Amino acid sequence: MATLSTDVLVIGGGATGAGVAWDAALRGYDVVLVDRADLAEGTSGRFHGLLHSGGRYAVKDPRAAEECIAENRILKAITPDSIEDIGGFFVTTPFDDPAYADVFAKGCRDTGVDCEEIDPAQALREEPLLNPAVSRVFRVPDANIDVWKTVWALARGIQERGGRVLPYHAVVGIHRSGDQVTGARLRGAATGEEIEVEARVTVNASGAWAGVVADMAGIEGVRVLPGRGIMIAMNHRLVNTCVNRCQMPTDGDIIVPIRTVCVIGTTDVNTDDPDDHTVLQSEVDAMLDDGEKLVPGVRQARAMRVWTGVRPLFEDSKAADTDSRDVTRAHALLDHAERDGVQGFVTITGGKLTTFRLMAEETVDAVSKHLGDERPCTTKTELLPGSEDGTTYHLGERLSRKEARLADEQIVCECELVPRWKVEQAIERRATTNLDDIRRLLRLGMGPCQGGFCIYRAAGILHGLDGLTADQADESLLHFLRERWKGVWPVLYGDQLRQARLDDWIFQGILDVEHLPAVEAEAVTS
Amino acid sequence: MRGELHYDAVVIGGGTAGLVAGARLAEGGARVCVLTKGVGSTHLAPATIDVLGYDPDRVVSPSGAMAEFVAGHPDHPYAVLGTDAVAEAVRWFRARVDAGPLAGYRYLGDLDRNYLLPTAVGALRPSAVVPETMAAGDAVRVERTCVVGTRSLRDFHASLCAANLSRAGISARSVEIEVEVDKADQNALGFARRFDDPAWRAAFAGRLALKLQAHERVGLPAMLGLRDPHGVWSDLERRLGRPVFEIPTLPPSVPGMRLYEILRSTLRRAGGRLVVGAEVVSAERSGSRVTSVATRSAGHDARYAAPWFVLAAGGFNSGAIELDSRWDTHDRVLGLPLRGLPAEGGPRFVGDYLAEQPMARVGVAVDGELRAEGAENVVVAGAALPGAVPWREGSGEGIALASGSHAAELVIAQSGAPAGAAA
Repeated sequence: MATLSTDVLVIGGGATGAGVAWDAALRGYDVVLVDRADLAEGTSGRFHGLLHSGGRYAVKDPRAAEECIAENRILKAITPDSIEDIGGFFVTTPFDDPAYADVFAKGCRDTGVDCEEIDPAQALREEPLLNPAVSRVFRVPDANIDVWKTVWALARGIQERGGRVLPYHAVVGIHRSGDQVTGARLRGAATGEEIEVEARVTVNASGAWAGVVADMAGIEGVRVLPGRGIMIAMNHRLVNTCVNRCQMPTDGDIIVPIRTVCVIGTTDVNTDDPDDHTVLQSEVDAMLDDGEKLVPGVRQARAMRVWTGVRPLFEDSKAADTDSRDVTRAHALLDHAERDGVQGFVTITGGKLTTFRLMAEETVDAVSKHLGDERPCTTKTELLPGSEDGTTYHLGERLSRKEARLADEQIVCECELVPRWKVEQAIERRATTNLDDIRRLLRLGMGPCQGGFCIYRAAGILHGLDGLTADQADESLLHFLRERWKGVWPVLYGDQLRQARLDDWIFQGILDVEHLPAVEAEAVTS
Repeated sequence: MRGELHYDAVVIGGGTAGLVAGARLAEGGARVCVLTKGVGSTHLAPATIDVLGYDPDRVVSPSGAMAEFVAGHPDHPYAVLGTDAVAEAVRWFRARVDAGPLAGYRYLGDLDRNYLLPTAVGALRPSAVVPETMAAGDAVRVERTCVVGTRSLRDFHASLCAANLSRAGISARSVEIEVEVDKADQNALGFARRFDDPAWRAAFAGRLALKLQAHERVGLPAMLGLRDPHGVWSDLERRLGRPVFEIPTLPPSVPGMRLYEILRSTLRRAGGRLVVGAEVVSAERSGSRVTSVATRSAGHDARYAAPWFVLAAGGFNSGAIELDSRWDTHDRVLGLPLRGLPAEGGPRFVGDYLAEQPMARVGVAVDGELRAEGAENVVVAGAALPGAVPWREGSGEGIALASGSHAAELVIAQSGAPAGAAA
């Protein structure tokens, strides 16, 4: 069995965990970052893509608003390559309490969230599809953030500083020696091979799964209530500004344009199981109805995909006074030395993507104390790999690159303009045979045709690279199709159903993937 | 709007079923007009004539398997049409290909035995009647196979195709040929135009010949010429001295464009009219009869009146049938009732991608003569028909040919007498 020794083991490869590992690596600690699946495959990769201005919390949770606006400014400076600085509107629709607008404006002033009221006519000039009946409009510095790009930039940064990043390595046991956590045992998903990690400090950054991981360390009472929310991606950008309802935060009150799509979000249902990805038709219907309030006609546009994410809502059963529901939205750092008398173990959970860097900073400050060697945090100013030139992402970026290279850059995915060399490079860098990993990395197959044209091509490219057998390529193709369908069928109607039927013809008709040798063999044995 | 145009029959839809119905109506002496929103399914599909490929196991002989298939699927179009009608339609089709605009280009095969042809991913797919340019790919042949690709064509991956064929027990390997192209994104159509050029083709064959081994047949992506596919294919066979076959791949489909050209030419030579870019947007009715349809197109709107209409506009695939965001399903063309819908409140789709989806068999409701329920002078053909899952059954072209032919025959038989008089 392989053994690794490190200063800090971080369990959970979402934005928080990757942020913790990056912060610790920048402070000069040796780090190992692990996740049971791909990086940002859990909650981080399953949100709408909003980089909060803080406006959403300006009234309900002023402290969260202050954190958001501070982090919004920092992230725009340190990872501009992942961010499209599109701005946001808070709009009072006929469905909203008109009195909230003034409360909102005051909340923004009090919390330092930049907020400017603009003429609704001006807002409609900028966003012609917006509900023409909006009565008040406030401009705030909302933006969108590509979380996969962010997390993989963090991963590159960690690796460049000697840290190790191990996706698809599940923690199967956490080691305790008396009141000291000493590391964990990992199992690789591909090979089943186990790895022992000896760590001076172990960080539980597993979000909605934090209670499960704490249990493994023999620590009781870390209760995280997974709050499930659905999001629907429409096939193009109905708006180019993040549009929020100007009201107390509720379901279905935001549309976030990101990359080639816009995302309507979201709902909030408590669930027992963080791996619960149920999508109810009633939720889809409610979300589309809410979308209509912001952008009338949403139902005539193409819904492309729906997904669920689980927010980690922390409830400390050991806390003296029961936290109110509002406070649980904030992040929670549990130093188990103070809380449970267990050394070398820290849990960070709750919070939101916008504040991941702050959460990481506070966590590594605590880790630093455990290591008896306090070093300052530098993540506020250190640029992430890929963001060195300081320019933010803009919508035409991929197209302008393609236009410049018409003669020699073959496009694999037309919807998202992913060139072949990028696919080849990603396969080699990631050493992955999973097209879903490539999808998250490059947005391959994320556009309107949902992989209809590019996934056969990508499977062919995978196979053409050395060392991959046909059954691995077939399995990757079929895995992609099955995973894709999960997000497609609950919102399948209108022109997207036409698209899906074309895809059926391509995969089940023209290519006949159902009758590939492996699938047939599977059918016989099952 | 211009004045009403009058025909003996108006066909809505320009895919295989609509073009066949139109051509056969015209051949039968009817004044016919085919209205189509755009080019249809032909340009997307491999253009093999798939009659019955799976039930659900692979079908060896479509004619032999038909009785059992129909018994298991009493609402399937084949239950009305029957094997003889499919066989007749296939014979008609082959004769029209032989007499068609692509000199020497033929289709081979019949309903007694399915060819088993490689797909671009290397699965083996059953088809009853196939272009001559594909026939040598049949899995029953004993030669070893060399699958040929080029990096310049992103829509075909020879190594994966060959590797899967090998796993299926066919001795296969792959080679890549370097081809110079002016821009990086090429599809099969771009290459088909190049293959039509004798000099380009000769150079390609010269490069390929160096890479071949003895006694290998050669599989190429389906792009061997658009204007003269027979000439291109036979020239390659002669130059390489071995069987050559095409392997269908991602759209646009070159063999499908040939099929469209053949059917369009058959329609026009018989005196029929084809109007492309004419989406039917409304219909006039008189009681249980449709009296005219209106189209909207770039230059003008027009109205077409006829005693008979053939509805061959497709299903969900073309947008002729729509499921809207309130989960209601409609025939968007004529507003006719549908059949095959999942039970009220039941699932429309299921989570397993490769399972049959509950919405799969939806189509326009028809009677025992494939006339639309509630519109006695509308005959339904092709993918608009309910009861079939052609992409899974491998039955699309069989249904299209036979139902298009059936519609024409019914209209011709009933013409003279006022429609519905017999009812």
